Amino acid sequence: MSTAELIKIGISIVVFALCFAGNIHFKGLLKNIGDTDTKKLKSLKKRKTLCFVGVIISIWFAIGVFVTWFSGRKSGMHIEFSMFGERTGIEVLGMKLSETTVITMAIVLIVAVLCVVFRLFIFPKFKEEPEGLQNVLELCVEAVEDFCKKNVGEKAGVSLAPYMFSLAIYLIMCASTELLGLRAPTSDLVVTFSMGLITFILLNYFGFKKLGFAGRFKSMGGSMAAMRPIMIPLKIVSDIAVPISLACRLFGNMLGGMIVMELLKGALGGYAAGIPGIAGLYFNLFHPLIQAYIFITLSLTFIEEAMEGPEKQSKKAKKQSAKAEN
Amino acid sequence: MGSAIAMLTALGAGFGMCFATAKAVESVARQPEAASKIQTILLLGCALAESTAIYAFVVALILSGK
Repeated sequence: MSTAELIKIGISIVVFALCFAGNIHFKGLLKNIGDTDTKKLKSLKKRKTLCFVGVIISIWFAIGVFVTWFSGRKSGMHIEFSMFGERTGIEVLGMKLSETTVITMAIVLIVAVLCVVFRLFIFPKFKEEPEGLQNVLELCVEAVEDFCKKNVGEKAGVSLAPYMFSLAIYLIMCASTELLGLRAPTSDLVVTFSMGLITFILLNYFGFKKLGFAGRFKSMGGSMAAMRPIMIPLKIVSDIAVPISLACRLFGNMLGGMIVMELLKGALGGYAAGIPGIAGLYFNLFHPLIQAYIFITLSLTFIEEAMEGPEKQSKKAKKQSAKAEN
Repeated sequence: MGSAIAMLTALGAGFGMCFATAKAVESVARQPEAASKIQTILLLGCALAESTAIYAFVVALILSGK
């Protein structure tokens, strides 16, 4: 340790001792004074909290000095990031797997093992009247199913709910890997784009299934026949843009959070004891949760839009005309 | 330089989200019982408004990576 570090540690120890002694001193005074003198009581309480803050700051400073000395990490802005995950040493079929792929596989493995455990050990214990864990699980499943039904209708909602639920679990797991210091798989453009492609396939599948090949194109053109040659290419382009926009949205959000966190860590250097953990609750947990919700809602909305046929519109028009006649 | 210009798009996204939130607050104040419905619509709208800023962010990243 150099002399500068020793001086820093000495300062923090002195501050710690002073504040600790002050804290105990004011505690003793508070006990003696009673409830009568409210003004004095308030000022004493204020001093006590000030001393407590001083204790915490001195401990944080000392930890920072120790970590900086131990790891040799200096504070400063040197961050590195890439659009795609870094390649690891693991090779499959002559291709090097990227870091995010390995994390994705680990997440899928964990979820699969959890599913098997739930199926074998927890589901047989379920009763007619739910309690405890069963309540929570039923609540989750029902909420997702209701949400899907509300957005895409009864029939497609039931068949889409399992996919959306697994997507939600996957996105939440991805977001929480970042709390462990790993790169979140969703901050890789490849992962988000593949999820967008799945939405695109589902959208076309449900659209063609509901309306048929000709009906889908008819519904794309809108109700006016003259506008169809212009509207159909526009609609096709906007359909193709769906996976790209979904992928870029999720990717940009996750990468933005990651860069902010990296900047914070880089700026604080060794003194980053506990602070990125608190900031990470917002940037790595709360924000991705909202993004997962938005991803699911948007894909459901796009699927619903693709399924919207001319029958629905004509029904509405009929109703309106009937009302007008009455 | 190009990436800096691309990030100017965030200005527009900020204004869009500001308008959306202002209107949502107004409508919740007028009709507090419809708050949950308005909230979901607001979230969706904000996501769509935010997406322009995110596209700009991605473009800026691609430009600065070269």
